[in-house]
Amino acid sequence: MSRLQVWARDLGMGTRFAFGGGREGWTRTLLTGVGVGLGVALLLISTAIPGALAQRYERGDARSTLNSERADAPGPDTLLIARIGQTYRNKDIEGNMIRAEGPDAPLPPGLKRIPGPGEMALSPALDELLKSSDGALLRERLDARVSEIVGAPGLVGPGELLFYLGSDTLRKNGPEDYRVQRVTGFGHDTDREGLDPVLMLMVVLTFVALLMPVAVFIATAVRFGGERRDRRLAALRLVGADGRMVRRIAAGEALAGSLIGLVLGAGFFAVGRSLVGSFSLQQRSVFPADLDPAPWLAVLVALAVPAAAVAVTLFALRGVVIEPLGVVRTTKPSRRRIWWRLLLPLVGIGLLLPMGGRGNDHGRFNQWQVAGGVVLLLIGVTVLIPWLLERFVAKMSGGPVSWQLAVRRLQVNSGAAARLVNGIAVAVAGAIALQMLFAGVEGEYTKSTGQDPGRAAVAVIVNRDAQTPMDDLAQRIAAVPGVTRAVPLTSAHAAHQVPADEETVQVTIGTCDALGEVATLGSCKEGDAFVVTGSTSRDDVYGATAKPGDELFVGDVRGYGSASASGTTDRPGPAKWKVPADARTVPSREDPTGQLRSGLLVTPSAAPKEIGSFPDARIFVQVDESGPNTLDLARNAVFKADPFVTAMRLRDTKEAAGYSSIRTGLFFGAIAVLVLIGGSLLVSQLEQLRERKRLLSALVAFGTKRSTLSLSVLWQTAVPIVLGLVLAAGAGVGLGAVLMSMAAQPLRIDWASVLGMTAAGAGVVVVVTLLSLPPLLRLMRPDGLRTE
Amino acid sequence: MMTPAGTLLAATDLRKAFGTTKALDGAEFSIHPGEVVAVMGPSGSGKSTLLHCLAGIVPPDSGSITYAGRELTSLNDAERSALRRTEFGFVFQFGQLVPELTCVENVALPLRLTGVKRKEAERTALHWMEQLQVEELVAKRPGEISGGQGQRVAVARALVTAPRVIFADEPTGALDSLNGELVMQLLTEAARSANAAVVLVTHETRVAAYSDREIVVRDGKSRDMERIV
Repeated sequence: MSRLQVWARDLGMGTRFAFGGGREGWTRTLLTGVGVGLGVALLLISTAIPGALAQRYERGDARSTLNSERADAPGPDTLLIARIGQTYRNKDIEGNMIRAEGPDAPLPPGLKRIPGPGEMALSPALDELLKSSDGALLRERLDARVSEIVGAPGLVGPGELLFYLGSDTLRKNGPEDYRVQRVTGFGHDTDREGLDPVLMLMVVLTFVALLMPVAVFIATAVRFGGERRDRRLAALRLVGADGRMVRRIAAGEALAGSLIGLVLGAGFFAVGRSLVGSFSLQQRSVFPADLDPAPWLAVLVALAVPAAAVAVTLFALRGVVIEPLGVVRTTKPSRRRIWWRLLLPLVGIGLLLPMGGRGNDHGRFNQWQVAGGVVLLLIGVTVLIPWLLERFVAKMSGGPVSWQLAVRRLQVNSGAAARLVNGIAVAVAGAIALQMLFAGVEGEYTKSTGQDPGRAAVAVIVNRDAQTPMDDLAQRIAAVPGVTRAVPLTSAHAAHQVPADEETVQVTIGTCDALGEVATLGSCKEGDAFVVTGSTSRDDVYGATAKPGDELFVGDVRGYGSASASGTTDRPGPAKWKVPADARTVPSREDPTGQLRSGLLVTPSAAPKEIGSFPDARIFVQVDESGPNTLDLARNAVFKADPFVTAMRLRDTKEAAGYSSIRTGLFFGAIAVLVLIGGSLLVSQLEQLRERKRLLSALVAFGTKRSTLSLSVLWQTAVPIVLGLVLAAGAGVGLGAVLMSMAAQPLRIDWASVLGMTAAGAGVVVVVTLLSLPPLLRLMRPDGLRTE
Repeated sequence: MMTPAGTLLAATDLRKAFGTTKALDGAEFSIHPGEVVAVMGPSGSGKSTLLHCLAGIVPPDSGSITYAGRELTSLNDAERSALRRTEFGFVFQFGQLVPELTCVENVALPLRLTGVKRKEAERTALHWMEQLQVEELVAKRPGEISGGQGQRVAVARALVTAPRVIFADEPTGALDSLNGELVMQLLTEAARSANAAVVLVTHETRVAAYSDREIVVRDGKSRDMERIV
């Protein structure tokens, strides 16, 4: 019989044992399968996420007009499209106004026809929101008739809020009208800018930190039922199986569990995949169809998990002597050596250190080197824990009986205990390192906007070619219940010569009250004019200025009107205007959006009459935020007046979207992994207790207090956990320090996250110990002494 | 049944059922200080259940058990545990030695449970290991010694608290005849020298021969067989 046939025969026999051991055998195999299955599902999800993100980008690109084909003049195949995105109760709504200029106008992806005037096409999620009671206010804003529901090809995710509003008035006012695009098709090939290197570092690490504990967990799961299996193998030795044969049979049992695990894992993944479309995380959702693991990664998982199960079993049995007389003795464990255990983390650090400072100035990391370094460092934690535990407990003696029982058990077999804590230690170390990195780069990625929400909750930004006069719009906004103040400011451009060069003089027109928002005026009355000098504290004020009495041109100073080929508007040419000679010079002041102005400030009666149709304007709106609907009522008023007008919520800080998503991902991932490992800990704990049922009963028989035995179980778990967490915290802080140096951040230990993650790990142990107490008390009953 | 005068441990009309199975059905028992009583009977006859009830490990459904004038059935679990720690010793067929502890730590364990300091407990344990001729096993763990040696260590552990009653459930069940003889000889000699009573559950007549008296249990009922010396 060839070597291969021998292996196949013994592995097959082990597989039969896995399923043929009656209810107990099935339970054990199923337990292993569920454990491995959970790990496999997590692996499959992880391998599918990059593909899902790529699909998401592709969907976004397919409907993008950013670099799509354009036309200069209306034609049979042109479509006008303008973005009119909205915000409703902190939810961003993607919106476009569209108008077909010819019968062959391109259709946006997901639409069957272009909505006509008074019609709109909605994404399913927006349709649902509008139909719900929560969407009542939004219905007032988006009250067009629904022509159709946008299909999946036109959405980046099933939860996306999107609408296309049909129009017959939309027009493009010359090539400089950047609000409206005239396109002949959708989609473009983008040479997508890669993720910021530091964000990429975090993504890579998040995956590594989450997947490492899963691998440790799978390795633990295939050893469920190990001690009972060893006894069964001893019986096989009695009937003639040799040592190698029983090891192969044991590997066959683990193989069966892992194969069940693969099937269950695929099932868990399929269930999770079908449910994923129902969830949105920070308004990001994924179509189930997009969540497909890369085939080569799925094959790798399918091959690696059973192979790992066999390897782990053979590795675990290397120190066990299985004798024919039913006696299973663990050989005297050889002293664990430190050199190779230290080698792994040192090599890991060696790989990471050369990456120092690469995150600066848009540098690039070698992702494989980073991932390799982190993996080696975290594996280093898993191999150092058994050594540390062995050395620590070797010196221990004395203490109460419960302590002695626990310590002696750890001295005899610290490997099992170390295996239990490895997963948690790796998860905690990885999470601490990442949290440190997050805390370190938080300042960089959470940017101060310079906005002052105390002065205005909303800035209404009216671009040139607005359809509604400014004052009328300001009055409409001011009339909204809950709006306490609406201050309009109009800006136009003036120039010393025409056509103007790059630097024009900004002329800001407003009442004294409004001008006070952008400059320190002192006294002011209607008819006054001011020259703004800019700020002494900032040097980023742009634009030229003028002196009192200067003659300037106003209106179409850049000559857009004469350059308009489409002839969509008739614009008057530039006109002369003289800066009032009594204009006072005043210092600039940051407006509520954080902008400093230069140029001229004039009250309406002092303003030039021929400013043309090129003004930009802003209305700073203060609201009574105790009214929950005020902001949306104001947005409704703005949208009804002019859908192109943007109502921008002012905030003092802005978090980079990528950063917050990764942090959220890490948080949920770490929780999921800890719960998973907690389950594995509990199963292993119960199994150990069941193996000691007779001994526990005997100890109780001769008077051992149940509290003594319960405490010994607690110490037995707590000692390795405390050691593991101390090592994990150290390794996490060390890894965090290396990562921060890579991201060119000054070292700062985020003690809150160190304590938080360590406490979370310890919490899992406490919960597991508490959950294992009821079975422990049951196992201490005298029934365990019955031999007949 | 009237309890004989000078009885250390006695039971009357003991009944215990596990589900519908009657393990004890009116069993009687008595033992004097320093006496060795063998409880015999076929498998499943109820002899181990009798021992568990007498030792306060499981409470009977009904009946009376008196130990040194105290009614055992009226004690709560904690009081019965304390009694087992201080007054009783145990030898079982399997699973009585803690595999992680050394032999001397195993023998000292009952003393440690009563609060005796480790060094003092191990000194006393060493004395009893010498009595049972296993003093060379002091630093060994149960996995490193033979079955016969393990049972002698277990007997030493049963005697270390100077108990007044030793309960031995099939103490030689897993031993060959030579080792079984040695264990029984040392157990009975040590018990008699300490004036400890021994309740010996066995189904082997060869083992029962070391006793002063035999009680046969069949279908949960007991019958006292006075030995004629």
